[in-house]
Amino acid sequence: MSPTGCPGRFSFDAIGTVWQIDTPAKLSPEARAAVAAVIEEYDAVYSRFRRDSRVFVLTEGGSITLPPSGEALGSLYRTLYSLTNGAMSPLVGGSLEQLGYDAGYSFMPRGAPVPATAWDETFQWDGTIIRSTLPVTIDVGAAGKGQLVDLVSESLRRAGYPQHTIDAGGDMLAVGPSALRVALEHPYTPDSAIGVVTLQNRALCASASNRRRWADGLHHVLDATTGRCVDTVVATWVLADSALIADALATALFFVPPDVLLAEFEFDYVRITSEGRAHYSSSLAGALFS
Amino acid sequence: MIDVKKPHQRWVLAGLATASLLGSAACAASPPTSSGAGGDAANAAEPATGSAESNDFTDGSYSATGSYQTPGGEESLGVTITLASGSVSDVQTEPMPSNPTTELYQGKFSSGIGGQIVGTPLSELSVDKVSGSSLTSGGFNDAIEQIKREAAQ
Repeated sequence: MSPTGCPGRFSFDAIGTVWQIDTPAKLSPEARAAVAAVIEEYDAVYSRFRRDSRVFVLTEGGSITLPPSGEALGSLYRTLYSLTNGAMSPLVGGSLEQLGYDAGYSFMPRGAPVPATAWDETFQWDGTIIRSTLPVTIDVGAAGKGQLVDLVSESLRRAGYPQHTIDAGGDMLAVGPSALRVALEHPYTPDSAIGVVTLQNRALCASASNRRRWADGLHHVLDATTGRCVDTVVATWVLADSALIADALATALFFVPPDVLLAEFEFDYVRITSEGRAHYSSSLAGALFS
Repeated sequence: MIDVKKPHQRWVLAGLATASLLGSAACAASPPTSSGAGGDAANAAEPATGSAESNDFTDGSYSATGSYQTPGGEESLGVTITLASGSVSDVQTEPMPSNPTTELYQGKFSSGIGGQIVGTPLSELSVDKVSGSSLTSGGFNDAIEQIKREAAQ
């Protein structure tokens, strides 16, 4: 982590992305240390890129105990696993590795796509305990960064900074009396935007398949039932009360239409198909350029 | 409660929750099958929840209007389902709100508004933040750059 000197802004690199935390008053060294500790603990539990992470143990099968936040993560994944008919799964890590998105960043596909292990009786995520009778590679990339943003927010509140904006590489949470204007990056032209949304006391998370690509047709949003990349949707944004929900739903919108998720969750969305068409909730009707 | 006549059957749905269940059916790869023996088309139009179990639908468009109570009075939502080869091929919802609050909520249930995206250069916008994917993973982008460099040698 390399904090910059900008007053009221704390910037650093962590979990492979750039973080910016803005607060009305400059963060104390203790508050910065608390933020760093929250991120380090989360990474040490969930990173599939670290051989010393807690989830790495499950690559041999067995059981692990997660921190308290693991309960909300597991139950959200279970709900979305059901709503997407198994397409969105924390067991997709092996399918990602098969296509080359592995701990060594080899980006060399090992062969044809492989479906993820099914979330059946061989895999149990009960509260903070995960048990797997089969070797599995957990990947919580679809929701983990969002949850980490929520946890950082909690640590800032505890440290005496109730007003803050957290931006983790475009996934963000704004808490306080002033609203932020946030541009939605164009999925095909990164120096332009397709609209501007107002963010206040909510989280905004994005998911996109067009940028994190490593070969023709290969990117990180996989259907766990086939192990193949999803190509019908290219970018999504979700506004929700927590970054955990916003992040997870942004990925879920690659697999199912918004109505399926609106039956269970309260959120606003923008969803761009590969033909460049946008679908969005009616409250965002004025947000997109036309 | 059910008035069976094709092609425009009308029945009263229990409420919005039912309407959104119908929406979910649209994304299933194939309709649920049941072990029940074949019946005639009229039997297929049993109560909405039961009919979803049957495989004996005739292709065509089916419309229904659901009504439900809100604190502001009774509201309606129209649903049209198109069946092709026994599968749901299309679902359209038609909000029929009579007050602004309902309009807001029904908008969330209808399948959203569509349109072609239009880009505006970021340099012409006054914004605090940009949300997208270009910054999602420094480690990822570094690794890709490194591979490109090695591949070019």
